Amino acid sequence: MALSVCSIRKAYGTRPVLRNVDLAVPGGQAVCLFGINGAGKSTLLRIVAGLLRPDGGDVTINEHDVRKHPEAAKQQLGMISHASMAYPELTVHENLTFAARLYGVPNRMERIEELLAGTELAPFRHDRAAILSRGLLQRLAIARALLHRPTVLLADEPFTGLDAGASDRLLAIFDRFVRDGGSILMTTHDTRMGVRCCQRVAVLDKGVLILDAMKDQIDSDRFADDYLSYARSKS
Amino acid sequence: MKDLWRGLRAILVKDIAVELRARQVLPTMVVLGMLIVFILRMASESGSASAGAPVMGAAALWIAFLFSGLLAQERSFASEQQNGCIDGLLLAPLDVGTIYLAKLLANVIVLTIFEAIVVPIVMMSFNLHVAGGWLGLAIVLLLGNVGISSIGTLFSAAVQLTRTRGSLLSIVVLVILMPMMIPASFALLVLFGAMPDHAAGSSPFAFVGSFHAAVGYMLAFDAVFVVACWLLFGIVVEE
Repeated sequence: MALSVCSIRKAYGTRPVLRNVDLAVPGGQAVCLFGINGAGKSTLLRIVAGLLRPDGGDVTINEHDVRKHPEAAKQQLGMISHASMAYPELTVHENLTFAARLYGVPNRMERIEELLAGTELAPFRHDRAAILSRGLLQRLAIARALLHRPTVLLADEPFTGLDAGASDRLLAIFDRFVRDGGSILMTTHDTRMGVRCCQRVAVLDKGVLILDAMKDQIDSDRFADDYLSYARSKS
Repeated sequence: MKDLWRGLRAILVKDIAVELRARQVLPTMVVLGMLIVFILRMASESGSASAGAPVMGAAALWIAFLFSGLLAQERSFASEQQNGCIDGLLLAPLDVGTIYLAKLLANVIVLTIFEAIVVPIVMMSFNLHVAGGWLGLAIVLLLGNVGISSIGTLFSAAVQLTRTRGSLLSIVVLVILMPMMIPASFALLVLFGAMPDHAAGSSPFAFVGSFHAAVGYMLAFDAVFVVACWLLFGIVVEE
């Protein structure tokens, strides 16, 4: 398995956030994780990324345990989170150069040019991150996450701030990433977009995985409608 | 080792580029340092302190380095808080200790530049002469710099990254630095000719012994706290 989450438990104080969550994502598959605010989606992604220590359970990325061999696991991992992780004082190109140096990306200038073109950020390469719009910052975050050619991509609300065209381009990037054998674990509140770009859907409710199904096993339109009703009833 | 060097270089180059663009840290340090030197220079004009120019000069240097250094180090992780940049660092395939060492190195460089600006001004203001040699002065200032930066860098991470706000942590830093500041003050007093090389009798520095012993204390302090802070950094940054 490219990504394996086994019996993950996490509590903030006395409030349990994740209760024995199991999830395995093979190569060449995108899984979309749904859940209302506070369901534990972002906490799960941060634990998978090694940014948060779980109270119990294991996470492995391509057989590398995230806690025991963090460097090897992180080399395989890319993450798009709520925040852009971009330094406002640096330009788009400088931010990517810094990330490329951190990951030891070979031929980094060529790779940066490739991603600037792929995310259509090339015209903004000399602009400081401080003056970029939310959508452009999100594109920079996407370029940063893919820079070191990860095999597992974590995406927390990746469509936030993107216009329709940019969302379609991100869908195309995700599609190519999965076709090349990569694995994606993403969260979104945009049910239709999430269902559209994934092969598998999962629903997290109060830290428990209450649904985990292949997309072809469910009626996508009905799932979207039912999930919206469920989310409204919970919030 | 290759990964350590790669991470150190990347973070250091980035921190210098950010500071050159933002110009937030060094100008603020210089203003605060000048204020401290000016106030102590005025105080040394009073009759009771007129004979103690080397003493006041040594005090001015350490007080300026301490407070300006802590001010700079507080900023070193504040910049990582913007846009979740700290997550970007922690996601990188590096040992977390590398992040600490890179930040420490950046803080030592900034404080060294500050020292290069402030030391000549203090020397002229207080009419000081380095009786003990410039190399000795450079060694003492560098050791003091590393000691202040090692603890300041860790506590900056603790304050900025763990949402532990408040001035209490700054007080804790000053208390922890005390065992180094005593031999550091003694060493500067010897270098400026305000004290004999061997403190003895009723001198508050009697336990330090000699200039070489003071340098030895500072070296030991730096070694212990750089290693301890490097080891503790992973615990501090992990939520």
